[in-house]
Amino acid sequence: MKLGLEIHQRLQSKKLFCEDGCDFAEGEPDIIIQRRLHPVLSELGETDDASKAEFSKNKIFEYQAFKKHNCLVELDEEPPRKMNEEALKIALEIALQLNAIPVDEVQIMRKIVIDGSNTSGFQRTAIIALNGHLETSKGPVKIPTIAIEEESAGIVSSSEDKVVYRLDRLGIPLIEITTDPDIRDPEHLLETAEKIGMVLRATGKVARGLGTIRQDVNISTEGGARVELKGAQNLKILPKYAETEAKRQTELVKIIHELRTINAFPLKSAAVDVTSIFKKTQAAVIEKGISSGAVVLAAKLPKFRGIPGRQIQPGKRFGTELSQYARMAGVKGIIHGDEDLGKYKISEDEQKQLRKKLELGDQDSFIIVVAPERQALNAINNAITRAGLDFVPKETRKANPDGTSSFLRPLPGKARLYPETDVPVIPITKEFLSSIEQSESLEDKKKNLEKILNKELASKMLKSRHLRLFEKLVEKGADPKLTATTLEETIVSLRREGVEFSSLEMTVENLFDEYSRGTFVKAAIPDILKAMAKGASAESVIKVYRFQKITGEALEKLIEEEGRDLKKIMAKYRLQVDPQELSQLMKR
Amino acid sequence: MYSKKIQSQLDKKKIDTGDTITVRAKDRIYEGFLMPKPHFGNPDILVIKLSSGYNIGIIPDSIELVATTGSRFDEPSEPEKPKKGDISILGCGGTIASKVEYRTGAVYPSIKPKELRAAFPELSDWPIHSRQIFSLFSDDMNSYHWKIIADEIEEEIKAGSSGVVLMHGTDTMSYTASAISFMLQQLPVPVVFVGSQRSSDRPSSENKMNLVNAVFSASQDIGEVTVCMHADSNDELCHLHRATRVRKMHTSRRDAFRSINSDPIAKVDYRALLFQPLSDYRKRHKQLISKKKFNENVAIIYVHPNMKPDLISRLSDYDGVVLAGTGLGHVPVGAFGAKHVKGILEPIKQLIDSGIPVVMSSQCITGRLCMRVYANGRLLKDTGVIGDDADWTPEVAFTKLSWVLGQTKKMEEIKRLMETDIAGEISSKSPIGGEQ
Repeated sequence: MKLGLEIHQRLQSKKLFCEDGCDFAEGEPDIIIQRRLHPVLSELGETDDASKAEFSKNKIFEYQAFKKHNCLVELDEEPPRKMNEEALKIALEIALQLNAIPVDEVQIMRKIVIDGSNTSGFQRTAIIALNGHLETSKGPVKIPTIAIEEESAGIVSSSEDKVVYRLDRLGIPLIEITTDPDIRDPEHLLETAEKIGMVLRATGKVARGLGTIRQDVNISTEGGARVELKGAQNLKILPKYAETEAKRQTELVKIIHELRTINAFPLKSAAVDVTSIFKKTQAAVIEKGISSGAVVLAAKLPKFRGIPGRQIQPGKRFGTELSQYARMAGVKGIIHGDEDLGKYKISEDEQKQLRKKLELGDQDSFIIVVAPERQALNAINNAITRAGLDFVPKETRKANPDGTSSFLRPLPGKARLYPETDVPVIPITKEFLSSIEQSESLEDKKKNLEKILNKELASKMLKSRHLRLFEKLVEKGADPKLTATTLEETIVSLRREGVEFSSLEMTVENLFDEYSRGTFVKAAIPDILKAMAKGASAESVIKVYRFQKITGEALEKLIEEEGRDLKKIMAKYRLQVDPQELSQLMKR
Repeated sequence: MYSKKIQSQLDKKKIDTGDTITVRAKDRIYEGFLMPKPHFGNPDILVIKLSSGYNIGIIPDSIELVATTGSRFDEPSEPEKPKKGDISILGCGGTIASKVEYRTGAVYPSIKPKELRAAFPELSDWPIHSRQIFSLFSDDMNSYHWKIIADEIEEEIKAGSSGVVLMHGTDTMSYTASAISFMLQQLPVPVVFVGSQRSSDRPSSENKMNLVNAVFSASQDIGEVTVCMHADSNDELCHLHRATRVRKMHTSRRDAFRSINSDPIAKVDYRALLFQPLSDYRKRHKQLISKKKFNENVAIIYVHPNMKPDLISRLSDYDGVVLAGTGLGHVPVGAFGAKHVKGILEPIKQLIDSGIPVVMSSQCITGRLCMRVYANGRLLKDTGVIGDDADWTPEVAFTKLSWVLGQTKKMEEIKRLMETDIAGEISSKSPIGGEQ
């Protein structure tokens, strides 16, 4: 098994090719636009498979645009502006951290994507550095290319003939980090993904939060094919994806071998119109289709008996794969011969007629599609084509949350890239490179953290999303250990209690500023933070909730009043008295 | 173009664009196809296409040839034999029908008939034939090309064409289209100009919808020159505009083309076979009137503050002048004895007196001229400036004057022709609302 990673991370700057910000829109769109896309011919008059597959869906794309978040660039009504320099600098900084060599001139390309997720029909992308690597516990992982590209539009809904997208996300800068298939096993995959994640976060210049990072996994197995799994959100299940995909490919290879042995290839099959059989059917799916003008097409799969029902992933069968190919034509799915047709209320008599019309033998199977004629024909042909492949196809697949995957489209070919002539090339000169602010390397960062924190807290901090904030606070003179435990323990447990911070960074900074003035004691931090969560200042919280530190003469007086009983004082004034000062004064 | 330093290395090793090469740079070796250097960027930086399809720019230490590609000349385009009753599609360049060569990224402005059908399968619903007249940026077109286009249209009509579609760049499309309206009158078939704002090398190009709608419009009963472009930002409807009314009103949007001081002729959607008239138009005529002579010696001047009388005096070498005046049709005249103002009335009068017609239009673009409301307008009218009451665009005033000067040299006749509506460029009634 060979494993590779492709990581996409949003960068913190304005959009890549216009002056819009990268925050998300709320509420209803200001403008709605409908468009169609069509494939562009190459010089050979050919379009690549991925484009054709998308185009055969023949869909309308509806775009929701927002005045505050969009301009004519995202609407594909104005040429792109120059590439955002800040984004390029962040990407180059990351590239240098990953030991890659920047190109001398950045050439912006158009990558054809006609699923509608880009209004232009392509995504702008450019390689910025090459030949990097990452040190891991199992040796170096090569990072041959690092690119900067535009984020696609976010999908709102999808139906048979229309896909709706929001344009606030379109154009956010992404860095794309691609490794060689050097990764040895699923555990190594997890380690590599985590390490790259740490490098990205260490810059403090990447976007944070759900959906801001995506890991695609490239998997190929012996006798199988390269498959790209897209959209894994949870790092922890990366190993599971790798294992499930390896198993899926092994099962497919087994099926192909069996089919070969019984000479099932080349598969000869064609669509047959069987609508008349179902004129009076009780099967709801079919009846509903026919009454709205759809046809029922069926195709014989000679010698395929038992194959569509074979499980190839947990809970997913070979028939599921055929169905997913059929869906490219916009249908909901197929019915196949290994299913319990009674479940659909297809009667015994209808089954008999179907067998007769398709001339089915004992070893044969079949598939059925219900859809408008042209769509049904496309769909059933897609499924037949898939069934007839005597190899594991190269595919882009969607990573499902349960560790399985679904077919998305054929793996794109190389014909998809051509130069973006609307944007000038960008020279990467020595001067430009030296203007890039270099954060510490991951190794240096680790060493420095271990100087000020114990090993456990240091490693926690290194992986933390609050690393940048921690550094800022320590730089301002905050106690490292107190800062780290506040960020990694106090806040975590407050969040668990359900406390939500409207602006965590501002709150924590304000808290430590106030702490440095000595106005309250450590023990009060959790309570003060809780009171500050909605945006109140530390000063006001301390006053209102009476967290003022009792110190010096006031403390001496208190000691006398409480009869010099340390236990009693601490029980009563724990949140206002520094235990060290108290014990010192008590010793007098 | 690469620098001499790079080019001499390439020449020495006999390396051509498209060849597979290896490049050494900073102790690394890169392999890929050699790309042509666009005219921007550092000419010392070599551009190669990696096997991933990406282009990168690197400063090479050395270059080696791995394999040549062999020549990839484009076959000459063979014109299709026209059949009687066909709709003719004539290419004049522009971004509507060009194709991209993925390997080098070059965009060819021409498209062969076979490719046209492959790119736009919807065209197979109509009997068409196509050929390329020339491939030009529309900004490079002038009255020389208008004449050729008019000749070609006339030839198609004589050969039995039932409608003519012209693919044209958008920048000056309204100039060409309005010029043809004056040259070819009483058209027996529709002549439809069409372009696209998004280049055809993008999946989002609106070229297909515009072109198929243009062909669909060319099958209607219309005897005028028209322009067919997107009605709005959606890929839904096109508007068919009268050539003497239409103007490009946005630098980049799909719906840049608008009918000025008039509604479009119709709303068009070939998918729904929808042709919904929005205003009156002329039906197919029996006999074509062809008056193709043009005067190419006409200037447009944009009136502006601080304008020097000298600017007008210098126009004495021209045969005709169009002013894009302010408001209802005004220029600085130095009225009320205003100090610090140099009026341009006098030099205008001198031009007219020397036999050079001066025609008014308005920078407001929309609305009708009226040179009777204010004193400066009345003064201009008194000098003999032509155009009072006209509602033409500055561009149409320009093409019309150029055409009129091709027909006559007599000032009286020039004035009469200019003030007569010939191709819908002067309307009798200003519309109160409508589509746009």
